[in-house]
Amino acid sequence: MVNKIKVKQLSCYYNKKCVLKSLSINIVQNEILSVIGPANSGKTTFLRTLNRMNDLNIAYYRDGVVYLDDNNIFDMNMEKLRRRVGMLFAMPIPLPMSIYENIVYAPKLFGLIKTKSEQNDIVEQTLKDASLWDEVKDRLNFSAMKMSGGQQQRLCIARILAVNPEVILFDEPCSGLDPISTAKVEEAMIELKRKYTIVLVTNNVKQASRVSDKTAFFLMGRLIEIDKTGELFVSPKKKETEDYITGRFG
Amino acid sequence: MIKLNPKLSQKLSYTLLCITVGLAIVPILMIVFVIVKNGLSAISWEFLTSMPKNGMREGGILPAILGTFSIVLCSIIVTLPIGVCAAIYLNEYAKNNLLTRIIKLAIVNLAGVPSVVYGLFGLGIFVMFFRLGVSIIAGALTLSIMELPVIITTVRGALSSVPHSFREASLSLGVSRWQTIRHIVLPNAIPGILTGTILSIARISGETAPILFTAAAFYVPHLPHSIFDQVMSLPYHLYIISTQIPNMPKNLIYGTALVLLMMVLTMSCVAIIARIYFRKRRKW
Amino acid sequence: MRKTIDNIMEIIIFVCGMLSVVFVVLIFAFLFKESFTFLKDFGIVRFIIGHFWYPTSEPPSFGIFSLIMGSVLVTTGACLIAVPIGVMTALFISEIAPKGVKDVLKSLVELMAAIPSVVIGFVGMVTIVPIVKNIFNLPTGLTAFSGAMMLAFMAIPTIVTISEDAISSVPWQYKEGALALGATKWQTIRRIVLKAAMPGIIAAIMLGIGRVIGETMAVMMITGNAAHIPHSIFEPVRTMTATIAAEMGETVREGMHYKSLFAIGFVLFVITFMVNFLADLFLGKNKNL
Repeated sequence: MVNKIKVKQLSCYYNKKCVLKSLSINIVQNEILSVIGPANSGKTTFLRTLNRMNDLNIAYYRDGVVYLDDNNIFDMNMEKLRRRVGMLFAMPIPLPMSIYENIVYAPKLFGLIKTKSEQNDIVEQTLKDASLWDEVKDRLNFSAMKMSGGQQQRLCIARILAVNPEVILFDEPCSGLDPISTAKVEEAMIELKRKYTIVLVTNNVKQASRVSDKTAFFLMGRLIEIDKTGELFVSPKKKETEDYITGRFG
Repeated sequence: MIKLNPKLSQKLSYTLLCITVGLAIVPILMIVFVIVKNGLSAISWEFLTSMPKNGMREGGILPAILGTFSIVLCSIIVTLPIGVCAAIYLNEYAKNNLLTRIIKLAIVNLAGVPSVVYGLFGLGIFVMFFRLGVSIIAGALTLSIMELPVIITTVRGALSSVPHSFREASLSLGVSRWQTIRHIVLPNAIPGILTGTILSIARISGETAPILFTAAAFYVPHLPHSIFDQVMSLPYHLYIISTQIPNMPKNLIYGTALVLLMMVLTMSCVAIIARIYFRKRRKW
Repeated sequence: MRKTIDNIMEIIIFVCGMLSVVFVVLIFAFLFKESFTFLKDFGIVRFIIGHFWYPTSEPPSFGIFSLIMGSVLVTTGACLIAVPIGVMTALFISEIAPKGVKDVLKSLVELMAAIPSVVIGFVGMVTIVPIVKNIFNLPTGLTAFSGAMMLAFMAIPTIVTISEDAISSVPWQYKEGALALGATKWQTIRRIVLKAAMPGIIAAIMLGIGRVIGETMAVMMITGNAAHIPHSIFEPVRTMTATIAAEMGETVREGMHYKSLFAIGFVLFVITFMVNFLADLFLGKNKNL
């Protein structure tokens, strides 16, 4: 049990309004941590802080530290951090180019791959890891914008894998998808756990119970409870958690 | 006053609106009609490709066409990169602070400075201070400054039409800001930038006042050799022959106006049609 | 290496972003410098309110009051024509016209903006000028009235485009609210839409005014260029812009006359700066809707 990410006393503000209150949490390597909670509970803010996507927002301000393998991420070069901590958004965002180009886009810019055969290898490997290869192997040069939502989301996963990250953040990745596509994305997620550490923010309590090793419950910017997924769903220790997972509010 | 029934008053108002729209639109058709009708007879291959003769009362307008062409070309070469960079700064980098507000105010005001004042400025700075003389380059630089706010505004529009999510997706992979702009934002903004540029080219082709003291000559008996030459220009030539030269054959004036008008309108139409085309087949 | 390219590009981008500010300051400073000695020698008050513009007589007189009046008269005339037409066209385009008509009209307005001012001047000379002369039985058709008519035509595209933006940015909930209460479409437009879009429309009018004041070639070709204080709109007038354009070629570099034209340019710059600044304030107001 190695702690990949350690969050210490993290507080976040938008326009001086506090959205996360002194949060401390450890994320274990090669596990899936689900973050659940009602709207405005600070889940997404938490996630976007982990790879500093929020730093683009000028209204955003934070306090506290987050360690990735014992290095404070706020002292790190932002681009390097984001290469190590990839992020999948709620809506699939394929870039307006072909499937093939979507995957080689970032590695090419980083100089990770040079020859054409290296490119082909990385495309095949990442698409296989994202459980997409069989569906698209014959049309790699088609526009990514023309795929179905579920395929696009898995393409986005493949695109993240292509830069070789250590941690992958999922921000409600199935909110726009139908049940079958959702099942495929979840399947891909469980496969990925072997190589990567995963943080999953989700509105879907069932999804959390299906895929994650640990689950954390956020409410109004506070961490209420974190435990093994089995424990948290079977015997929650706090009343708020119980109310939420049994559907009494939220 | 009699209170009109709302339905009737709506009908009356709509009719009135249609009439005013007619008032706005009919003149443009009239202008085109008058010029085409009277000018068409003057247009010939010779008119477009020969030098003016006999105190400009005969012959063609080739040097004026080439002059306008070279001034406009030089000026767009200078303006476009600067304008694109400035637009990138405003759209992608600028924070919501005092500096940004000052820049925006400067652009608004630059767009409002009268063209003849640009002419004065160009005369003082480029012609006199930098000793470029009355030349293509002095006129082009003057037009460049004048065109800068227009280019910045259209390029900004093109940049901001690229969805924000593309930038986030690219940044989240660890790609730097500039690389994201270079590889994601700019390629997808190209159609908008292109059409905006063609529209600006059309507009500056017809500008006269800024080049009046900086580039344009009454009459030059040869074609321009370098960017430091004085040149004739189409709009200035039209001004000269329609007001300064007595006994000027009318059809030559109309012909010159027709060439200028068609040049400008064709470019604008191309830009407008290209814009519609690109919008239809946009990928997102 | 990649990092250096990034940094260099970001510096270039920042510098280009600042250039507009540099140019505005440069234009202001330059016009000020060129006209300062002249204004000091001749006297700024005499310059502004002096009735006589005889720059080449002995001793010369550089009063631009008649030129200012010329500009004011032509601009007012043009606005009286262009504002109602422009605003109503904008209303028609954004609220009433069906999609296809709307696109065609918008493109036409854009084409209208592209017509060079010399061409408009020339067409004015051959059409409006003789008509005005005959109808009103005047010694010459080159009058402020003819100028105003042609200039109105140049202000219309500006007014239409910017008011149209303002009108279409009125939230649709406003309109639905009124329509749901049983108002006719026209009542909604008049009472709700026009009111909500007013700051934007005012800005559009100001920018139209700015465009007309600064217009040079068409004015020079049709208004007759007589530097005297006009008593009616059917007399020839001369504007500030036309004076600069017409006389700059005949001046001695660095002479009094030359400098006085820069001083006129300075006055024009200040006027348009204020007009645009105000318009920008109104546009800002529209955004806070």
